[in-house]
Amino acid sequence: MTAATALQAAFGSAIVRSAVSCGDLIVWVERDRAHDILAWLRDTAGQEYNYLTDITAVDYRDPERPLEVVYQLRSLARKADLRVKIALDKLGPLEVESVYDLWKGADWLEREVFDMFGVTFRGHPDLRRILMWDTYAEGHPLRKDFPLRGHFTRAEQTRQALAANPEAHYSIEELTIAEAFGELPEDVRRRLAHGERGRVK
Amino acid sequence: MGLTPSAADLTPTDAELAGVSPNFLTTTLDALTNWGRANSLWPMPFGTACCAIEFMATAAGRFDVARFGMERMSFSPRQADLLICAGRLPFKLAPIIRRIWDQMPQPKWSISMGACASSGGIFDTYAMVQGIDTIIPVDVYVPGCPPRPEGLIYGVTMLQKKIRGETMVDPTLRRETEVDARGFYLPPEKIDVLSEPFGNSVHQTRSA
Repeated sequence: MTAATALQAAFGSAIVRSAVSCGDLIVWVERDRAHDILAWLRDTAGQEYNYLTDITAVDYRDPERPLEVVYQLRSLARKADLRVKIALDKLGPLEVESVYDLWKGADWLEREVFDMFGVTFRGHPDLRRILMWDTYAEGHPLRKDFPLRGHFTRAEQTRQALAANPEAHYSIEELTIAEAFGELPEDVRRRLAHGERGRVK
Repeated sequence: MGLTPSAADLTPTDAELAGVSPNFLTTTLDALTNWGRANSLWPMPFGTACCAIEFMATAAGRFDVARFGMERMSFSPRQADLLICAGRLPFKLAPIIRRIWDQMPQPKWSISMGACASSGGIFDTYAMVQGIDTIIPVDVYVPGCPPRPEGLIYGVTMLQKKIRGETMVDPTLRRETEVDARGFYLPPEKIDVLSEPFGNSVHQTRSA
């Protein structure tokens, strides 16, 4: 039984449609059930999509088409791939449930989708920009309604860039070494604790 | 009779030295200083893209930029006098290159290596600085995508030529160009003109 038919059997109408493109199985799902479906795909025997390869989004040039959030899953044990898509109406709120609780790696992936497309992830612990700087005010660059050169003049962009404080990034908190400190190996912890960054904990 | 002259042949005799005064040479202070500065440039590499690969090739044995006095790469801006921006500069790196330039002591010069550093190149986008001359002053622009090591070496020799023409009595040469109160290093009108699309990029407005 393929993942598509298994999903149909388990979730019924929450599975909007499925297709095979270039040999890859793609499943469109309802936004409100997406988190349950992804959890089911991860935990159910026979599916075991335990690795989240990527989260991204697509904004099509056709204004009628919805924006899609794409989850690329892989089962490391079964060596199988699955693409799950959520179609979001651009007139409604661009909001989906975070899958950070299922895959910790979703943290930065969801931040990138938020930064580039403006999709908010409900339940994400730290949803802020990741590629553009925190004070970036021009919008979400990968949206099709975003002009290639940005909204502001080059002079304004240059002024804002020069006003940025680079030291605000790359702190020990930014790298979350402080949070992961307890999980690091003993020798790394010893070196970090007496490193030039100072005592962490 | 051997091909190598013997030590006795090379040692001047007292008679030969009798009419020779102690050695000195006359020059101007400018010429001496510029000779020293031009031939001992210490580059601060600011490599962000493929130009940096060509820059590494320039520094390595085959092209050996050490022949021009750039023996030592300075990875600290405080011991550098030549900033080489090798590669594209996104707006996110603009304050960083500005900080590095401000940290470099006078006298200092900069080379903008490659199309992206000089003009934004093909990256006429929301994320990219359209020429690092909107962020820091530039002495030599090296064209190319990326420039071959010969191109960079030519740029370096052009800079050396420029240094040899400097004079210490000109106070404008060593003036720091700081960011003004409005947060600009150049007037905003000038930045807009410098960042105007040109060449192929004027046709890139379809998705704008």
